[in-house]
Amino acid sequence: MLRRTLVIVCFLATLSMLTGCDKPVADNAKNETASGTGAKVDGSDSQGSDKQNTSLSGSVAVEGSSTVEPISNRAKEVFNAEFPNVNISVSGQGTGNGFKALAAGECDFSDASRPIKQKELNGCNEKGISFYEVPVAYDGLTVVVNKENDFVTQLSIEQLKKIFREDMAAKTWKDVDPSWPDEKISIYAPGTASGTHDYFVEVIGKKDGKRLRADEQTLLSEDDKQLVIGVQGDPFAIGFFGYSFYEANQDELKSVAIVNPGNNEAVSPSMATIESGEYAPFSRPLFIYVNTTSYQKAEVKEFVDYYLANVVEIVKHARYVPLPESIYEAAKGNIAKDCPGTHYLDSEGNKREGSLAEVFKPENLPE
Amino acid sequence: MSNDSAATADNAAAKQFVRPDFPVRSSAGSKRWQAVVVVGLIACSMISLLTTVGIILMLVFESSGFFADDQIDIWEFLTGTRWTIGQSQGQMYYGIWPLLSGTLRITGIAMLIALPMGLITAIYLSEYATKRVRSILKPVLEILAGIPTVVLGFFAVKFITPYLLQPFADFKTFNATSAGIAVGILCLPLVTSLAEDALQAVPRKLREGAYGLGSTRLEVTLKVVLPAALSGIISAFLLALARAIGETMVVALAAGSTPTYTLDPRVPSQTMTGFIVETFKSESVVPGTLSYYSIYAVAAVLFILTFLITLIGQIIRMRYREVYD
Amino acid sequence: MSESQDTQREYRDDQQRKTMSHAFSVLCLVISSTAVVVVTTLLISIFMTGGNWIDLEFLTANHRENNPEESGIGQAIIGSIVICAICGIFALPIGVGTAIFLEEFQPRNRYLRLFHGLVQLNINNLAGVPSIVYGILGLTAFVYMFGFFSSIRVNDQPEYEIGARYYYQTKTLGGSYVKFPAKKDYQPTLAVTGSKWVTDDQGNSFRLVIVPNENALSAYQSRLDRAIVVCSIAELVEQEGEKLYKIETIGGREVTFPAERSYGQFSKILEPIDVIGSDGETFQLNVISKRDPLPTDPEIKNRTVVADSPDPKRRSSASIFRETNWFHFHLPFSKSVLSAGLTLALVILPIIIIASQEAIRGVPQTLREAAYGMGATRWQVVRSTVLPSATPGIMTGAILAMSRAIGEAAPLLAVMGGVLGTTLQLSSLMDKTPVLPVTIFKWAGDVNDGYENLSAAAIIILLVILLLMNSVAIWIRYRYEKKLAK
Repeated sequence: MLRRTLVIVCFLATLSMLTGCDKPVADNAKNETASGTGAKVDGSDSQGSDKQNTSLSGSVAVEGSSTVEPISNRAKEVFNAEFPNVNISVSGQGTGNGFKALAAGECDFSDASRPIKQKELNGCNEKGISFYEVPVAYDGLTVVVNKENDFVTQLSIEQLKKIFREDMAAKTWKDVDPSWPDEKISIYAPGTASGTHDYFVEVIGKKDGKRLRADEQTLLSEDDKQLVIGVQGDPFAIGFFGYSFYEANQDELKSVAIVNPGNNEAVSPSMATIESGEYAPFSRPLFIYVNTTSYQKAEVKEFVDYYLANVVEIVKHARYVPLPESIYEAAKGNIAKDCPGTHYLDSEGNKREGSLAEVFKPENLPE
Repeated sequence: MSNDSAATADNAAAKQFVRPDFPVRSSAGSKRWQAVVVVGLIACSMISLLTTVGIILMLVFESSGFFADDQIDIWEFLTGTRWTIGQSQGQMYYGIWPLLSGTLRITGIAMLIALPMGLITAIYLSEYATKRVRSILKPVLEILAGIPTVVLGFFAVKFITPYLLQPFADFKTFNATSAGIAVGILCLPLVTSLAEDALQAVPRKLREGAYGLGSTRLEVTLKVVLPAALSGIISAFLLALARAIGETMVVALAAGSTPTYTLDPRVPSQTMTGFIVETFKSESVVPGTLSYYSIYAVAAVLFILTFLITLIGQIIRMRYREVYD
Repeated sequence: MSESQDTQREYRDDQQRKTMSHAFSVLCLVISSTAVVVVTTLLISIFMTGGNWIDLEFLTANHRENNPEESGIGQAIIGSIVICAICGIFALPIGVGTAIFLEEFQPRNRYLRLFHGLVQLNINNLAGVPSIVYGILGLTAFVYMFGFFSSIRVNDQPEYEIGARYYYQTKTLGGSYVKFPAKKDYQPTLAVTGSKWVTDDQGNSFRLVIVPNENALSAYQSRLDRAIVVCSIAELVEQEGEKLYKIETIGGREVTFPAERSYGQFSKILEPIDVIGSDGETFQLNVISKRDPLPTDPEIKNRTVVADSPDPKRRSSASIFRETNWFHFHLPFSKSVLSAGLTLALVILPIIIIASQEAIRGVPQTLREAAYGMGATRWQVVRSTVLPSATPGIMTGAILAMSRAIGEAAPLLAVMGGVLGTTLQLSSLMDKTPVLPVTIFKWAGDVNDGYENLSAAAIIILLVILLLMNSVAIWIRYRYEKKLAK
């Protein structure tokens, strides 16, 4: 028995050695965006460059949205290439949890895929914590169907409501459009803790106080890969998640064009349509919320400043869409002038509606 | 093996392990030292007891937050057939049955695979296999036992569902069957090794007696060895059952996260462990909210279930252990 | 019915019985080999996906975001080994101790006997408890310690902490950073620059308005009792055992806000300070005022800070940071390697106990009797006779238990979260670290399909580690058996 096991060990070891030499390089078609990022970021990637500043130490804790996690992770990587002694930990456990950690003083800044809510703001105020609100990228919430699905090419908001809302909850595709097949719809959606879920619900039902359906045809998961696999394996499935997940799985999924309620034109999600704002109402901004006390710490200040200085390359590397330069400038201005608070809530606690450019204005900040 | 050879082995061991400077007499000092040691050993034993006490206290305290809530009726929790905690932010249903039935469905499928296969493999290993076959089969089972459950979960999603199930029937991407098969594979080595232990514990004399009466191997196995080892085999089954009920990563990956109350093995089915993991991963659980307490309420049900099953397994084994000694 | 017919029927029956028996053995073989088929399929499918991604870089590199080609499992391997070691260090002695107590010390005292039986019953039950339940227990008992201690905050010092030294860190005019030990002397004052929520003596709380400079005061006329000029100095006071900063607004209202240890300003320290530079050399740092002329020589700039400039670009703030030793330790353990190791120790404790019990039971009674005959106490018998001959069995059981621990993902997700990488190497028990099973889980769920291959490659490494551990166990068993057979 001993000998047999040893033989198996040796076999595994040699197999890995034999196959280890030729690491596939051809497989990186999808990583063109990665190699296409700006020279500055790539340059600082190489270890041991003379730009390294070893004198700064300390640690930075980042928590929050798993959607924003790749952006912050990338920021960490390029920052650490330059400041190798700053220990940064990024953990993506959901926007709500990030705000919880921010209010408890457990993180230096939190990642968020939606603006802060009044309840969470109250939590921060109670603990005497204030923050800078910094938008970092756009994400286009993408509705996808199975590759074999040839009947759905575009959907209007009304149709989405029929499919996803608890009060309408269409059983079959035929219930949505009589010309579609009489097959059960299966729904794959992000879990209730994610900002993506909240944002989608906001568009399809918030005004009427309606929520996403919760029945046996609906599968909610915090794991976006599960949603991808789910829609992929089910010809009558529909799902939604962040644009970057769709872009990484383009070959296996089909995105649905969404009819823009503004001009009644169906627009497919893409980097260009999200950036231009044509892809409405499902393009949304992503944020980081920086604790103002933490920002006075040298290592946090360096990191956040670096994050914002290189934000375009960082965001592109993580497959998200950068914001207009003016928004970044406004955010940097808020930090430099020490103007904390959220733009999204007025003094009565009502949420301000509108596009990022409309809401993200200095006059919308609390005094 | 005769008694003689056993004694020689004992002597050899004794020579090797009894050191020449072995204390000849126990002094008062060594008695006192022994008292200290005993206290230390009792302290060690306390830890395992404290673990159980800790688990029970934790579950009682935290889940009392769930049951003490005005919205929650414990009867409704135990009998309700709709579960929407973690599924919807709206109207809340909290009947445990969809989760419980998910667990039972997957466990049932797993047992359908693990029990007969495990038992037959054990019989083969114990009664039939030549040394050569054994030397292949045993390490393979050990590898299987060592494979992390995460790995089996992905195996279920990437292999079992698309290649073994979907070609034959209309299975959803995440379904109870593929998770059940994977859990069955996972329990197989456990059933095999425990059942084999039980079979080998049957005294040789019984077998020899039966062979002496002219029985074939099959008859010896089915009519003598199996009945004699029955208590051990049943307790092996029960341990495997507890393991299957408690399995987490496989179901979190392969069974899907929709709580369903049905007998259809083709649809997603969230289990109790699956619910706990999903809620943990979402981390939207803020202490003090109902969905936070619901983790503990579900964990309490899970704990009671597995605890009872292992307890029954133990009682069966203890009650019948003496018979052939 | 003649005798020959009877014999013939018996013969036919015999034949039939033999055929049945034979058929059954074939059936057994077929069913048993399913296990082999399953393992082979699994291994092949894993090797196909991950096999050719394993190389030295993969074994040493760390996780890289959206870059599977350069990602690796260096930290995860170390993390897994460290956590497994912690788990073994705690579980092994406790487990063996419990096993000795159960097997060798059957007490005569009635209560102790009850205890004895309870422990025995309990252990087999614990072995059946799902590992996710242990994960929840670890979260409650080790990470948060039942809420007995305040949780670990980023801008605050933990209540109970050893092995950490606090430094102030400040950026010189030249752009490099210097540090100096945090002492009480630098604590008492604070120049207020960032917005603060403050409370006045009536208990009203509001946000301080920070006026950029004295000349701008007129613009803030209506809010003067809520405003201060930037870089005003706050004083550290203690009220009812609580440390607070106190400051007077321009309007003359006295307000307080909670004192955090995290940062201070140089406003009151205008004499030079001894500091440590990046390469460890010590020198004197010049602290100049905003009224002083700025140095131009880069050498001097690297040794100078401005204490109280209202211009945030020039103002040097000193922020506190923590340097930890390898024995860094605090309560509660929070999400750390130690919490993870202890949780896994609880998971494998029953397995170790059961294995050790079996090993001890396997020691021949004659050995014990020989020792007793020589007048040894019970403990002497155990230590000199039972333990040495049971060691191989115990070790085998322990290694198999540890190989269970190294593959556990669910309890680690609960107590450490899903960490994929940290900047610095694991340096103390209070750090977080990625581990193999969690890395496999996170990678397999990554959007970028390249990580799926990496995940398979990591599985291969994990399997190799498991096989190595198993072969050590088998080797020990084998050697021991050989010795006894001599």
